[in-house]
Amino acid sequence: MVDSNKWGMVVDVDRCTGCQGCVVACQSENNIPINLEEHFNQRRAIQWIRIERYWEGEYPDVKARFIPIMCQHCGNAPCEPVCPVYATYHNNEGLNVQVYNRCIGTRFCANGCPYHVRFFNFWEPEWPESLKNQLNPDVTVRSRGIMEKCSFCVQRIQRSTRESERDNEVLEDGDRGLNPACVNACASNALIFGNFNDPDSTVSKMKEDAMQEGGRGYRLMENLGTDTNVIYLKKVDGSVEVTHGY
Amino acid sequence: MVTDPGDRVVESYVETDNSVETRKAVSDGLLGIHNVTSNTFWQFAAFFGILFLLGVVGFVMRLSSGFDDKAAWGYYVAVFAFLMTTSSAAPMVAIAPRIANSHWRRPISRAAEIWTLAGCLNLILYIPLIWLLPSLENGRRSLWFYGQQEGVPAYSPHIWATLAIVGLVLLGLSLLWLSTLPDFAVLRDHGEGWKKKWGGKLALGWRGTSAQWNWQHHRMGVVGAFYFMMLVFVHFFISVEFLMVHVPGWIDSLYPITHAHNALQAGVATVMLTMFFLRQFGGYKDYIGLDQFWGLGKLLLALSLLWFWFWFSSFNVFWYGKKPSEQAVLELFVKGPYLYLFITIFILVFILPWFTMIWNPVRRSIWGPPILAASVLLGTLLDRIRLYVASWDVAGKNMVSQLEMKMSEVPTKIPAPEIADIFIMVGFIGGSILTFMLATRLIPAINLWEQKEMLLYKAEVQFHRTKVTIMGKSR
Amino acid sequence: MQEHTQLGQKQINEDLLKGVLTVPKWWLPAVAFLGLVVLTGLGAFFYMVYHGLGVTGLNRPVMWGFFIANFVFWIGISHAGIMISAILRLTQADWRRPITRAAEVMTVFSLIAALHTPLMHVGRPWRVLYWILPYDFSRGIWPNIRSPFVWDPSAVGTYLIASSLFVFVCLLPDIAILRDRAKKPIVKKIYAQLALGFRGTPRQWKLQIVAGILLSALVLPVFVSVHSIVSWDFAVLIGVEGWHSTIFAPYFIIGAIHSGVSAVAMLMALSVWLYGLDKYIKPDHFDAIGRLLIIVATTWFFFFFLEWVYALYTLESPELALRELQAFQWPYAPLFVLFIVTAFVIPVPMWLFKKVRRSAALMFFTTILVNIGMWLERFLIIIPGLVRRTHMTFDWGTYHPSIIEILIVVETFAFVALGMLLFAKVLPLIPLFDIKEGMVNRRLIKVGRRVIPATIREGLPHHYYEKKH
Repeated sequence: MVDSNKWGMVVDVDRCTGCQGCVVACQSENNIPINLEEHFNQRRAIQWIRIERYWEGEYPDVKARFIPIMCQHCGNAPCEPVCPVYATYHNNEGLNVQVYNRCIGTRFCANGCPYHVRFFNFWEPEWPESLKNQLNPDVTVRSRGIMEKCSFCVQRIQRSTRESERDNEVLEDGDRGLNPACVNACASNALIFGNFNDPDSTVSKMKEDAMQEGGRGYRLMENLGTDTNVIYLKKVDGSVEVTHGY
Repeated sequence: MVTDPGDRVVESYVETDNSVETRKAVSDGLLGIHNVTSNTFWQFAAFFGILFLLGVVGFVMRLSSGFDDKAAWGYYVAVFAFLMTTSSAAPMVAIAPRIANSHWRRPISRAAEIWTLAGCLNLILYIPLIWLLPSLENGRRSLWFYGQQEGVPAYSPHIWATLAIVGLVLLGLSLLWLSTLPDFAVLRDHGEGWKKKWGGKLALGWRGTSAQWNWQHHRMGVVGAFYFMMLVFVHFFISVEFLMVHVPGWIDSLYPITHAHNALQAGVATVMLTMFFLRQFGGYKDYIGLDQFWGLGKLLLALSLLWFWFWFSSFNVFWYGKKPSEQAVLELFVKGPYLYLFITIFILVFILPWFTMIWNPVRRSIWGPPILAASVLLGTLLDRIRLYVASWDVAGKNMVSQLEMKMSEVPTKIPAPEIADIFIMVGFIGGSILTFMLATRLIPAINLWEQKEMLLYKAEVQFHRTKVTIMGKSR
Repeated sequence: MQEHTQLGQKQINEDLLKGVLTVPKWWLPAVAFLGLVVLTGLGAFFYMVYHGLGVTGLNRPVMWGFFIANFVFWIGISHAGIMISAILRLTQADWRRPITRAAEVMTVFSLIAALHTPLMHVGRPWRVLYWILPYDFSRGIWPNIRSPFVWDPSAVGTYLIASSLFVFVCLLPDIAILRDRAKKPIVKKIYAQLALGFRGTPRQWKLQIVAGILLSALVLPVFVSVHSIVSWDFAVLIGVEGWHSTIFAPYFIIGAIHSGVSAVAMLMALSVWLYGLDKYIKPDHFDAIGRLLIIVATTWFFFFFLEWVYALYTLESPELALRELQAFQWPYAPLFVLFIVTAFVIPVPMWLFKKVRRSAALMFFTTILVNIGMWLERFLIIIPGLVRRTHMTFDWGTYHPSIIEILIVVETFAFVALGMLLFAKVLPLIPLFDIKEGMVNRRLIKVGRRVIPATIREGLPHHYYEKKH
């Protein structure tokens, strides 16, 4: 393991089945309030990771395409410089972190985000009585009036780092305690999490291979120059030859 | 019986000194200066004439090098743009204060208008450029929204730009002619030799009836307003056709305004220097005074601050945007090879004028504003070189299609000017000055009729224990 | 042709202090009504604070709505005061005299109205201090000075302080008159405190004039910076295609001057009708402001044109989609047409006619149209800008303002009107001393068989000219 970590993710769109398992895992790991039907209708539902489903082609030749979208943890994030109170900033592990306690809710960052992965708590979050004991004690329950977004399960990263330091162990690549909840929950291994600064990690190798000429890798909205820490691998079609890539 | 505008009879009023004698004294004084042509004048004219000949040589050399290598034309276009920003913007210094009814403009307006004649030279420079403009056929990003769209002629930008530039020159000439009509009539009646002959021809039968005066004032207002609008449009076309089209990713909606504003600033500076030379060497010491330099100085001060604001408004948005395409544009114009040139321009065009002229003793002086005007003009010339040479360099070297959003590579050094470029630069700037000088032999460099008109409105009155000037309002 | 009516000092005092020393019949009902509207708005605000921003119509793509559009509108109106009084004062335009005070007071009240909404619309309004004050409190960090949202409060705050000072300095001589005329001792005492001992000595006058000129020169850069910064709240974002445009700063400024000067023309008409000041605000003044408006509106329209041209010039699909949404799709298409027609197409050709410019009623009508149009302009920049159809179709949405938002927006209008009415009750809306100065400076000059008005030229001190000779 290298000194400074740069956490990132590789999303293999080819493997994604659109099962929404990651969404549910994220929901329960990160104390995200229950999204009721009315929240969806108001377009105020909170999903740190969401599966976007697109139809491609004309009937009857229709294909469903799924793409999981979460905070891209941009190296050059449009949301960071505009926050007046430093509620969102870049930490030295490559994460775009959100400090709930500082946030006053100007929503400047949400407008600035080209990926629409920032969510605002329009109402005070509520859980049914039966679910209150299910809340994750490691994650703050956000009050109304503040922004929140995917943190790459920073609480899991922190815990694993602390434990490995305590036990004088090396943080293992692909460790289930380190991985974000969505990665652990993904049945088809479409999401792979790891450290881009470690050249031996799976994600580094995948990135290197996929970002070559003719590889499958791409970043979302690359023309904006946001330098994201999430690499997508595009869908493999029978007709298109892929020279590199997983 | 004397009535006020409300048709009430009034008794207490001030009479201005508007007698025939006073008016004749003004005319004679100005004509006296106008009729003298010193040896120094001819020496200078010869000097600028030689420069202009060099310019013609350079022009021919440039033409013979052909149109294929666009990068080689950068300096040429920069000279064209510099003349466009100075000589064609100078008349605004006559138009705007005339609309605002400022009296300090009176000795200035004619000299400002004569600069339109130098615009004719610019037309010569423009002709080869028509072949250099990228046509829509080459998949060029277009003002007409979709370059490929049917029904839009591939050369429509060429047509529009040409119409606008020719239109601007024509409007300028008609403005000059309109405002000189009464003075031509004076030359016809009191001039000698060839001046009398040409004055008679150009005066178009001016007799000074009130109908003629009304007609002339009204037309001057209309032509002036159109001149301004045309000027803005010309700068819009220039900044699109000669600059932004050549640099993929340079989508800067403010830039046409910045370009027009640079022109106004350089125009004020041009007129200021002109007034300075007319005062020192043209014999108009008694006519061009502190008021003129003070007025122009205030304008230059305000325009210098605006320069910073316009530049920063563009820069800030690009800086925060951090898109790769925008970063490349900043790299090209500000951070990259042109960094030191940019810093020099920044000092010459903004820092120097602004931080010296906010100081009253500098602004309210004869010597201060012209020095800063020279600084602004030099800065503007360098600025044109920075922008145009860089853009045409990219146009010549960049291999990506002009519909791409980003430059394929940013040039790493400033192309050196060739000998032809230097000839064109000194030649055509010298040629413009020569045009101005020669024009002042026929056209009085200070407006006779505006000076006389002032007599109608100006009077000195006693105010408690001091004497003050009062000015009438013509409307 | 400017009309010339010489009025005595006594009559000026009498006419212009009428609104302060007496109570017009309509005043109390009007104030009561406006107060009711303001209270309703405040009620709506507290309801919103109690329940959260869920009560507004904001949602995921549209995080800013009516509040921010209204904020930009009022900041725009606030540019009128300085435009009218500072620029016209520095350029010595004589027609400014009766208008300056009303314009400046409107600046102050509209700035306060503008400050309402962004502070109300944050998620946790009780924490805005962290944002506004450049102080780290106990958090250990200072506000993020890279954010345009931190420049905003400092620019607006500076502008508010500077323009309040400006109003106050210009008020001093008039407060002194009121102090001398007030009957009730308690009222007299208050005015006496406010007048800061102004007795009209030459030194006091000199200081007052120098302070006015200095303030107007110093406030000009602030005036430019305020709306530039407001525009950068939008323009620095690359995520919203329609906002990321370099022209935004000058475009917002010129739009602000357009709506602000129009609002001043409305004020002029209102003061003629409500306070009967037709001896002071004459067709000439409407004429002059009409001429100014033609230039401002045309320039504004050119900026608007450029903004559109360059948006289309990018040929990028999200940008083109946004423009199509803004101009051709329900419900924005009719609003867009209404905006163009009211902000430019109807008023500007009308102002070209002298008859229109010289009529208070027509000027009131056209300028109120301009302000409707300019409110819509802000709405059309902000809301369709956010509703935009991006590549990510899952986030497409729309926006409907809730009743709470509408009530608060209405409240800001009522607040400014109420503020102006209350101000006019305690202090004169037309500067007495400025009018008197104009009268003193006036002369008549004979040209041919006519006499025309003339003024004493406020130029360089005389010794500058004497040096020359």
